[in-house]
Amino acid sequence: MAYIWPIGGGKGGSGKSFLTSSLGRLSARLGKRTLVIDLDLGAANLHTLVGVPYPKKGFSDFIRKKTFRLEDTVVETPFENLFLISGAHDNFDVANLPYEQKIKTLRAIMKLDYDSVLLDLGAGTSFNTLDFFLISQHGIFITTPEPTSIENVYRLIRSIYFRRIRYCFNVTDFKALEDEVVIQFGDGSFNKPECMIKVIADVYPEKYEQLQDAFSAFRFKLIINQVRKHDNAALGMQMSRMLEKHLGLHIEFAGNVAYDDHVHDAICQRVSFLDRYPCTRTACDLHEVGKQIVQPGGQQLMFRYL
Amino acid sequence: MPKDFTQLNYYEVLDIKPDAVAFEIRHAYNAALQVYQPGSLASYSFFPEDERQDILSLVETAYRTLISDQARKDYNEELIRRGELDVRKEATSTAKKPVSIFNISRNPVAKVALTNNETLKNKINQSQLIGDILAQNELCGADLKKIRTELGVLIEQIAQETKIRHDHLRSMEEDHVARLPAAVFLKGFVKSYLKCLCLEPVEALSTRYMDTVARLSQK
Ligand SMILES: Nc1ncnc2c1ncn2[C@@H]1O[C@H](COP(=O)(O)OP(=O)(O)O)[C@@H](O)[C@H]1O
Ligand SMILES: [Mg+2]
Repeated sequence: MAYIWPIGGGKGGSGKSFLTSSLGRLSARLGKRTLVIDLDLGAANLHTLVGVPYPKKGFSDFIRKKTFRLEDTVVETPFENLFLISGAHDNFDVANLPYEQKIKTLRAIMKLDYDSVLLDLGAGTSFNTLDFFLISQHGIFITTPEPTSIENVYRLIRSIYFRRIRYCFNVTDFKALEDEVVIQFGDGSFNKPECMIKVIADVYPEKYEQLQDAFSAFRFKLIINQVRKHDNAALGMQMSRMLEKHLGLHIEFAGNVAYDDHVHDAICQRVSFLDRYPCTRTACDLHEVGKQIVQPGGQQLMFRYL
Repeated sequence: MPKDFTQLNYYEVLDIKPDAVAFEIRHAYNAALQVYQPGSLASYSFFPEDERQDILSLVETAYRTLISDQARKDYNEELIRRGELDVRKEATSTAKKPVSIFNISRNPVAKVALTNNETLKNKINQSQLIGDILAQNELCGADLKKIRTELGVLIEQIAQETKIRHDHLRSMEEDHVARLPAAVFLKGFVKSYLKCLCLEPVEALSTRYMDTVARLSQK
């Protein structure tokens, strides 16, 4: 079974695709059979970043053609050990993927025969995006050190927290729970999972236990991308501390990735940034972050989508 | 799951251990301010404004309480009554002192353990050899060794007194430039060495030694 790394972030342009392709490259370079999947269907561009400008097939074939298995939609890239499932040619959004299709996709991803699978998820907090993020406990959050991006990544994290709670309840119980939270904690509490979990601890102690186990199994990571010289280098640690202290979520800060205009240059020249500018600060940062992804610790647990 | 922030005790608010010293408390306070201040990126959009204000005033109270010896003592007693702090832990708080990074300058100078200071000073004044060495423009490790031998002090005694590692002392005395510690440390080491032997004036002699080493290492 492959190690699955869902990569999400609150905002378009924060560098999810760039990081997915770079981390994929690094993993492949170390001899791991690595697959990157573009699930940012409305704004797919992972194929361009891994050197496949015109993919012959892609994710849409799996969705549209009954005979296609997910592994049949994989294309090779110019890089050894690096494979792609492209999201190009998809004119629908993951958010709109019907339920059955989503379950079918999740199941197929889990069965893929690769060492590492990286999922490039789109921005936004649609249920489908959240479900893809929760496919493994190794989700990676990307943000830039800008308030807008941070606001969105916090929103995404809370949404994921809620979504995981939601898995434990049926629709009516969950609705009742939401109402109870608002009664106990006031109007502003509807987007506060930390309030909901307190209610659960009171009302459903056994589910509370279950959720605690689930949350402590998460090995989420946070990467701050496009860090410029004058930015606060401690931001990632501080965010991680905030999340731990106020949400009780352990999200490990995996590192800063420096901003570098050469990223833009490399993309424009359609060459791999890591190959073209291997000695930049940004490339070193990517290597550092990559190390943690190539040598994951512990066993991978996953939900069963039966 | 997280405890409600307002339920945390002051140590938890600041993320410090019950035996934290003043330096750590101040540090933790600054770190908390950086995270919770209104302009902070790390907490941007994380709380509504009123909640942020509550947190900030709690951080402030926590700091004011813990940084004052008396207030902290009273607060600790309250925590012990509430069963949140166990007595043993609290007891160590008075025992622990800040550890200075260079434990060289901490002990004033050679005490009786070595030899009597007066005896050393007399010897220094009367020795032709030491007088000659101190009159030079340069002062290398080998010179230090000559002085030490002349005074009849063992290298072990210096190591014991100054807490400088043996191998460092030996590298110094042998002028083994490549093995010497970094200049910031070396300067402290040589000062301790000089004080240990009652050689004066420490400042000028240590500078002379550092200059000599700098010249040696350029060769
Ligand atoms: N570390 C970086 N330094 C400089 N520019 C970057 C960096 N990371 C990303 N970018 C720029 O941001 C743009 C958007 O990145 P992309 O990965 O497409 O974002 P996303 O997939 O999150 O929407 C890229 O085209 C690139 O020019
Ligand atoms: Mg993208």
